[in-house]
Amino acid sequence: MTPLLVFQRISKSFGAVRALRGVDFELRPGEVHALLGENGAGKSTLIKVATGAHTPDGGTLMVDGEVHDGLTPALAHDLGIACIYQQPALFPDLTVMENLALRLEKPASFARVRWTDRRKRAMELLAKVGAEILPDSTVNELSMPEQQLVEIAGAVGAEARIVIMDEPTASLTRREQERLYGIVRALKSEGIGIIYISHRLEEIFALADRVTVLRDGSSAGTFDVCDINEGELIRLMVGREVTHLYPPPLGSPGEVRLKVDHLCCHASGVEAVSFEVRAGEILGMAGLVGAGRTELARILFGITPADAGTISMDGRIVTVRSPSEAIDEGIAYVPEDRRRHGVVLDMSVAENVTLAAHRRYFPGGWLRDRIEAGAARDAVERLAIKTAGIDAPVSSLSGGNQQKVSLSRWLATEPKLLILDEPTQGVDVGAKSEIHALIRRFAEAGMAVILISSDLPEILGMSDRIAVMGGGKLIGILPSGSAAADVMAVALGQSGTPGKDIA
Amino acid sequence: MKFSAGSAWRRILFRHEMLLLVVLIVEWLLFLHFGTMTNRRGVTVGFGTLDRQFDILRHSCEIGLLALALTPIILTAGIDLSVASLLGLCAIVFGQLTHDVGLPLSLAIPLTLLAGGLGGAVNAGLIAGLRLPPLIVTLGTYSLFRGLAEAMTGGAVTYTQFPSGFLALGQGRWLGVPAQAWIFVGVAVGMWMLVHRSVAGRFIRVIGFAPEGAQYAGVRVGKCLTFVYVLAGLVSAAAALVYTARLGQAKADAAVGYELYAITAVVLGGTSIFGGKGSVTGTLLGVAVIAVLKNGLATLPVVIRMNSAEELSGLLTGGLLLFALVIGMLPKLLSAVCIRR
Repeated sequence: MTPLLVFQRISKSFGAVRALRGVDFELRPGEVHALLGENGAGKSTLIKVATGAHTPDGGTLMVDGEVHDGLTPALAHDLGIACIYQQPALFPDLTVMENLALRLEKPASFARVRWTDRRKRAMELLAKVGAEILPDSTVNELSMPEQQLVEIAGAVGAEARIVIMDEPTASLTRREQERLYGIVRALKSEGIGIIYISHRLEEIFALADRVTVLRDGSSAGTFDVCDINEGELIRLMVGREVTHLYPPPLGSPGEVRLKVDHLCCHASGVEAVSFEVRAGEILGMAGLVGAGRTELARILFGITPADAGTISMDGRIVTVRSPSEAIDEGIAYVPEDRRRHGVVLDMSVAENVTLAAHRRYFPGGWLRDRIEAGAARDAVERLAIKTAGIDAPVSSLSGGNQQKVSLSRWLATEPKLLILDEPTQGVDVGAKSEIHALIRRFAEAGMAVILISSDLPEILGMSDRIAVMGGGKLIGILPSGSAAADVMAVALGQSGTPGKDIA
Repeated sequence: MKFSAGSAWRRILFRHEMLLLVVLIVEWLLFLHFGTMTNRRGVTVGFGTLDRQFDILRHSCEIGLLALALTPIILTAGIDLSVASLLGLCAIVFGQLTHDVGLPLSLAIPLTLLAGGLGGAVNAGLIAGLRLPPLIVTLGTYSLFRGLAEAMTGGAVTYTQFPSGFLALGQGRWLGVPAQAWIFVGVAVGMWMLVHRSVAGRFIRVIGFAPEGAQYAGVRVGKCLTFVYVLAGLVSAAAALVYTARLGQAKADAAVGYELYAITAVVLGGTSIFGGKGSVTGTLLGVAVIAVLKNGLATLPVVIRMNSAEELSGLLTGGLLLFALVIGMLPKLLSAVCIRR
């Protein structure tokens, strides 16, 4: 039997970041093939290669035994490749029928719309996937699982033979999941191959025939599901060598700097989070994407203020309702989205460095060029920022150096609590270890540091303690020196893990 | 010397303002040459007279004040279409306060400025408070303020006969130059300090470049936006006083259409409508180029014969603006072409 889809040594780089380093993958007809991996292991990139959104740099891609060099989204669609994303990609203001028609019809520009045919077709497809949805309802009236069903109906209608599902059950209830499983099994019985991406291990064992584990952009192996257990899968996902040395912690942490008690924010889905960070301590925050870590940071920094619970700094309860109040309380936040939030790309290095600490540098509210230049030169020297000059716009710097500018902006405020959100994402290896050394130095200087990262080795290497979040809650706090598998197991919600200590 | 992208960016800005200065000098010399003549009695008339130059200055003060008010707003990537309507409203408020209420100037002037500030606060409340788009909000207040002015006068009342001390503000000279020029210079210096030398001015640019990034840097975006729109209201009120004093009358249709001249001057001056980039110096040059063009055309014999100064100045102002935009795009276009190769 010819495999539906074959990847041979597929590689893809984005600048200096190697997202895929020669991945082998194969999908057979009538198979559910699970794709498993940590955040950033390369799953999304792999999907985008399969749907033609990314062109691989190297390797061979075969569909039905035929080699395709220049796969485009349109060609992928014609070849019967469909992808159902976690967030359904439908037009919210159009009806279900119109959305399906947009996927399935290829009319001439001024062709007459045949509404009766459209409606009939839509009803057939919806019935086929067992959806009780009226073709005339607009998409924004539908629930998330209903929208997913519309997506699946679209894939069925396009006679897709390769269906990719990206975490389809992430927002579904138990019963909706069961129904989705039923549909997946029905598709499978028709000989359709399904690539199924999920973080939930139990789902993989319930549904998949085979599983491929991705790690650091390479395949860590493909297995029949019946030949492998959960423990082995977790080990495969995280089992990499620590590639570089992390700076060692020095001394013992001081007084409790930040104490968070039953912090809630309904709008961002954070529920009853309580923990402490001491001066000089680095608290790592692990968890899957969407676990609520960035949301927690945004609460602490006043961007989405809390609606219940308390934040105390140095034993004093503080109110943080805006970033400027957070700055006044000595809280600094280096955000995840560096280019949009962390720096102002069109402004100079000097202007960026003094932006948050203007009260310190420019008392009275008037700019002082000499003080600004001094502060900027200090920052450039202290953090070894590579730039043509302090007047160069930040957009002319590399990612790692932009990140250092973002860091130096907050160091200038002399914070008591430094929250770092994915500080080394998209940063090359050299700058990464420099940033790690800097973070440890800030902690030694007496700052309390919260380090949010999806890079598990970074969390393990840097943290004095590791907090694990999931679903907007703090699931557990693990001590320094915990094994990667333990952290992963807590994050994935596996029970009976040793070392689990609910704070 | 190492090539620095920062200095390149500055060079481009510098070049834009230099370009404007060259345009200004060239048009001035052209009008001086073709628009100046001697009449039958041997008296020099037209462009090359001091009176005419002062006239240009007087005219540019009102549009100039509005353009200065608009500069920080456009730097935040906002817009205020209501400035000229607010000017009209403030003129009427001033007329009613002095005539109907009978207040002395020492009370009527501050109260008129307050009215301008309140008008700006209406814009600010909707834009900074409710985060509504500035274009729509000020399109609304553009009609609202003008409508209010017309309602207050029944569309017919014209306030005249202001005290001569007040008229001197618009028609007299202080220290040899038109009196309102001093107000204009004062506001210009203040605006320059605000935009280029103050922390608030830096925040204004940050908001224009990256509104979300500003919030993450601890900038109080709402407060900054409130400030620039209220300030624009105050400056519009000052422009209303100057306008009323120059014409010696306050009418509901005062300064109709001035907002478009003011926006043109700001954009011509190199301020990006997308926010962040721009300068007060550029705005001043933009105002000067437009004012000299409008006035100078009216002195050309051929234009006088055809009686078409208004139309021609519209045509040339529009052409100049588009030309400046294309020139501003050139570096980007050139680099795009280079990358493609």
